[in-house]
Amino acid sequence: MRLAYKSDDDAPVSAERAPVSARASARLERLESESVYILRELAGFERPALLFSGGKDSAVLLHLALKAFAPQRAPFKLLHIDTGHNFPEVLAFRDARAKQSGLQLIVRDVEDSIRRGSVRLGPDGSRNAAQAVTLLEAQQEFEFDALIGGARRDEERARAKERVFSHRDAFGAWRPRAQRPELWGLFNRHIGAGEHMRVFPLSNWTEADVWAYIIQEQIELPSLYYAHERDVVRRDGFLFPVTTLTPAADDRAIERVVVRFRTVGDITCTCPVESDAGNAEQVLAETLIATVSERGATRMDDRANSAAMERRKVEGYF
Amino acid sequence: MDGAIFPLRAGAETRQIRFMTAGSVDDGKSTLIGRLLLDSGVLMRDQADSIGDDAEDLAALTDGLEAERAQGITIDVAYRYFETPHASFIIADAPGHEQYTRNMVTAASASDVAVIVIDASRVEGGVLKRQTRRHAAIAALMGLDVIVAVNKMDLVDWSRERFEDIETAFADLAGTLKLSGVTCVPVSARRGDNVVRRGGAEWWDGPTLVELIEQSQGPATRHDAPLRLPIQAVLRDVTSRFYVGRVEAGSIRPGESVVLGPHAYPATVASVRVGGRAVSRAEAGTSVAIEFDDERDVTRGDVVAAPGVRYVRSVVADLCWLDETPWSRSRRYVLRQGTLETQVLIEEINFVHDVEDFSRRAGASSLSLNDIASVRLVTRDPILADVFSESPGTGAIALFDPQTNQTCAAGMIREAT
Repeated sequence: MRLAYKSDDDAPVSAERAPVSARASARLERLESESVYILRELAGFERPALLFSGGKDSAVLLHLALKAFAPQRAPFKLLHIDTGHNFPEVLAFRDARAKQSGLQLIVRDVEDSIRRGSVRLGPDGSRNAAQAVTLLEAQQEFEFDALIGGARRDEERARAKERVFSHRDAFGAWRPRAQRPELWGLFNRHIGAGEHMRVFPLSNWTEADVWAYIIQEQIELPSLYYAHERDVVRRDGFLFPVTTLTPAADDRAIERVVVRFRTVGDITCTCPVESDAGNAEQVLAETLIATVSERGATRMDDRANSAAMERRKVEGYF
Repeated sequence: MDGAIFPLRAGAETRQIRFMTAGSVDDGKSTLIGRLLLDSGVLMRDQADSIGDDAEDLAALTDGLEAERAQGITIDVAYRYFETPHASFIIADAPGHEQYTRNMVTAASASDVAVIVIDASRVEGGVLKRQTRRHAAIAALMGLDVIVAVNKMDLVDWSRERFEDIETAFADLAGTLKLSGVTCVPVSARRGDNVVRRGGAEWWDGPTLVELIEQSQGPATRHDAPLRLPIQAVLRDVTSRFYVGRVEAGSIRPGESVVLGPHAYPATVASVRVGGRAVSRAEAGTSVAIEFDDERDVTRGDVVAAPGVRYVRSVVADLCWLDETPWSRSRRYVLRQGTLETQVLIEEINFVHDVEDFSRRAGASSLSLNDIASVRLVTRDPILADVFSESPGTGAIALFDPQTNQTCAAGMIREAT
């Protein structure tokens, strides 16, 4: 038996003790009903797109969207902003799942924005922040009036203040101090010319809710969410995956470790955690006793400073 | 820092409870939220690290935006999540400074119950602060039950007399405001007493704050209330039409006789689906897809209702003005009730509520940010004659400004004659 998350100051907790059985139904029902209600509020939009990366939150989002509009086809296009730094398993899953859903998948590349000159990368080479530029370019190209994302308020402090229907001006900017009050379920769906709406149907879900729902609905995910062996290098408390994009500086530092990813994003700033959770039930059990937050455990980009996410969001990140 | 009280955050069959917190930083509201997160074990190590070296500074956990930290104030509602073995919770944390009413109204509309935090060391002779009276008044207007966290009890040596004075004062206030279901609990957020775990007063054998929240029922969702199902969209496949929406009051079942829209066209529900599965009954709060026995001309904005439903074009409502731009008599606004949007005029301001001394100021000719007023509204299309206290899902309205697209008011229908 392995320990879920080891740390110096926490007493080890056994993952096997965490109750994972049908946790939930009443609360998952409330969350599902609310998300379906939010997605159906998009029925009046002319060109809505659902941001679909192949990650677990977007997989849950797509599942809910198909459910909300069944038996009709969901009135959304799928949009993925590809940093060019994605894990191949995730891209394969993205394409397969999109095809299966019957919805059109549009992919726009950060690489093209770099070529156009609209994106210039910083010294760390991370393309995560650059996604915002490519996303806004895609929004303008297709004149999307709503972009539906799987962001959750429990992920991060700036996201904790995000609306469900979040208005973006013609520059795509989020203005946290001028947010519209959001009252009951009486969403304000009005936008002006050139503006668009960001919509977050999973706002009130937690990481554990997402996993409980993945179990309940048997939602398929890319394989790297589950335990697998991978070459990594330990540095600053993170496990860095060794890939062609992120080769080890010193081959002697490479270890073969059983890991899984809690989030999947840009390869250069997304790290796995040590875990032998091989299925969704085991992942949920670990999630319930985790002592480090989802983004804190795995995302270098949020570590830069405590306002990193807020700044990216103001610029158009979702 | 103390360890988590609930290291394993899970329950077999858990409810989700949404509550709001009101009070100022001085009352220890942010400290209380930090304590809830810390002792329930939801606070993750990296998040705890970011509060800095001062382990006592639980309040820092609830800071949100960079702009807020720069100004040292909170400017918007933040949502927080925690769990106990019995329930999961969403806190809508409303800041206590400027735009207070606006933020509290927003947070209250997303909540089942309000937790009002007061500083026991600053309530002398049972006289509640103006701010506390305002919080209670808004909770009453928005139809929320109230739990009072009488905080900083450690600073008054857990004086039972002090606590009971406050309890009595709050009972008086509740009587004036016609607030039902007010409960008080003595706590020390700083020390963690009676928040998640017991402690402090030996004389207190009542529940902890978390237990009180767990026991709260939320606004009475009466499943025997008359059905209201505002339609969001109509979905079609080759052979059938599905009308989708969320049940806002009552319940719906196959075979039931209903009426459609203001003209009350009779129809029979043929099937009810939830998440793609046919069900024998769906209650308030559930998103459904229904079929009728026959094809019907129903679109977004129409309501599927129990027979006996009434529609009107004029209602009396309490309106909270939330926009920086004051109400303009010459302007038409858009009213949203359920999924219906129609034009609305504020025909008359009956009076403005003073939410601190509870007086009614008649003769007002303007409405600006944070004002709460009783008004007569006239709508272009007929709207449901539903009163907020009986049918919160359809007795609630929002006003939008069609020129700026801002959300400018929240309303509760009080009379619909």
